[in-house]
Amino acid sequence: MHRLLLPGLAAALLMAGGPARAADGPPGGPPGASSCTGCHANAKIADSVIPRIAGRKAADIVTFMREYRSGAWPSSVMGRIAKGFDDQQIDAIAAWFAAQPE
Amino acid sequence: MSTRRHFLKLGAAAAMAPAVVSAQSAGAGRVVVIGGGFAGATAARTLKALEPKLTVTLVEPNPVYTSCPFSNSVLANLREIGQQQFRYDGVKRAGVMVAETSATAVDADAKAVTLADGNRLSYDRLVMSPGIDFNWTAIPGYDEAAAQKMPHAWKAGAQTVLLRQQLQSMPDGGLVVMSAPANPFRCPPGPYERASLIAYWLNIWKPKSKLLLLDAKDAFSKQRLFQNGWAELYPGKIEWVPLSQGGKVTSVDPATLTLITEFGSHKAAVANVIPPQRAGAIAAQAGVADRTGWCPVEPVAFESTLRPGIHVLGDAAIMGGMPKSAFAANAQAKVCAAAIVELLAGRKAPDPILINTCYSLVAADYGISIAGVYRPTNGQLADIPGAGGVSPLEAVGGLRGQEALYAASWFRTITAEVYG
Ligand SMILES: Cc1cc2nc3c(=O)[nH]c(=O)nc-3n(C[C@H](O)[C@H](O)[C@H](O)COP(=O)(O)OP(=O)(O)OC[C@H]3O[C@@H](n4cnc5c(N)ncnc54)[C@H](O)[C@@H]3O)c2cc1C
Repeated sequence: MHRLLLPGLAAALLMAGGPARAADGPPGGPPGASSCTGCHANAKIADSVIPRIAGRKAADIVTFMREYRSGAWPSSVMGRIAKGFDDQQIDAIAAWFAAQPE
Repeated sequence: MSTRRHFLKLGAAAAMAPAVVSAQSAGAGRVVVIGGGFAGATAARTLKALEPKLTVTLVEPNPVYTSCPFSNSVLANLREIGQQQFRYDGVKRAGVMVAETSATAVDADAKAVTLADGNRLSYDRLVMSPGIDFNWTAIPGYDEAAAQKMPHAWKAGAQTVLLRQQLQSMPDGGLVVMSAPANPFRCPPGPYERASLIAYWLNIWKPKSKLLLLDAKDAFSKQRLFQNGWAELYPGKIEWVPLSQGGKVTSVDPATLTLITEFGSHKAAVANVIPPQRAGAIAAQAGVADRTGWCPVEPVAFESTLRPGIHVLGDAAIMGGMPKSAFAANAQAKVCAAAIVELLAGRKAPDPILINTCYSLVAADYGISIAGVYRPTNGQLADIPGAGGVSPLEAVGGLRGQEALYAASWFRTITAEVYG
């Protein structure tokens, strides 16, 4: 029943200005970040052997990505993916995931 | 009160209040999404997550979505079809209105979508993600009726179950004939994963049977990995016939399960014809498909280059270097949703980077992958040079087993993100 009320409620919120989007940087994260969650779920939504990265330390994510990229740390697919990103892009993605709730 | 009646009332309310809607503050607006597959369902709920003020309506006639990824495992008896099926409850909980009907017409000038239930939805931005339809005139003899005898199983569901039943009731020693189309088509490695998993199943249940794979092209995705796997696991079981050796099917006879090529004819005990494809029919109606049957888009927000205000995602779109995969559809949808939020707020959408990773199973515990990283380049999504590629030909340290586990984890994660 309450679904029916939603549009009205949303409209009321809009008239009142509504809650602002927490907007620092583009919505959905820096370039590349949104693709990661296809495998690295942002929340504990599925049983997976692939580690989650949300809420991890940015420095750790950066280290992993650079090691994967150079091949210093062996990987199945991450080495191939990390090669598509430069240092700055990796830093931005790492900071964004670090800021997500674990 | 049924969901349908909720929707009807909502539709009426929306239709009566265009002035109110256009008076909304920057950042809000109405987005309609046509098609609730990996692309559309992702786009709808990401839009709502990024901008809760948006009114997002997903138009999808099926109450249950049946996933193609992992449906080849259903053919090999490794999974049941029920494990492929997802409802839209999670999408609804995310605040998306779901109209359980199909879109029958799009009026790009009036910015309105007509629905099969008679309703009309106005939009500020439209997302079209109708997936594929088959080109029923491409192979003489192969029409919708023929698909009941020679299933395509390239839209998962009843067709998948039919093909599995045919395999199970085939006598041991019967020949399985598959045919794969020329590029582009849904899931480039898919026919070869299917051949692998059918061979895996034949090895156990019909050891005297073989599989003939007739191909309308001379090369395919992850080819060496697949062929090495076939030689290792199923020696002599799979025969691949490329285009140059007469692989192209020119007609079929469903009454006798015969596939005719330029070089001869092959009578099958079970025939799986994967016909040529194009964007879902509504794309052509809306004017977003070009003469190839697919939809050209710009590479930042995936807006149609033929009809402004309409974004096309997933298999229906021409995405440059990106293949037609569920992973890609999901990645495109997240980028598109963020871009639409920016566009509705009067800002410019930033240049994206997208990733694709497609796993294939050569056997239940033997996985291989292809990956790519993409960015807009000269008006197209192009591979970032030096990135991406396929699994190594030499597998060390249990890599194939590991990739099979990653494949299963990817499927559980993405379906939870989209439908959970
Ligand atoms: C055998 C097989 C195996 C595969 N394996 C993988 C894999 O391992 N990994 C991978 O990434 N990809 C895989 N794929 C590819 C994947 O299935 C597709 O790329 C993906 O489904 C594309 O998503 P989409 O949203 O564009 O289209 P779809 O998933 O087809 O969704 C389109 C939706 O639109 C709806 N629709 C159509 N017309 C209308 C209309 N007029 N009005 C309203 N709704 C409409 C349809 O009902 C459908 O629900 C596989 C495909 C096959 C066939």
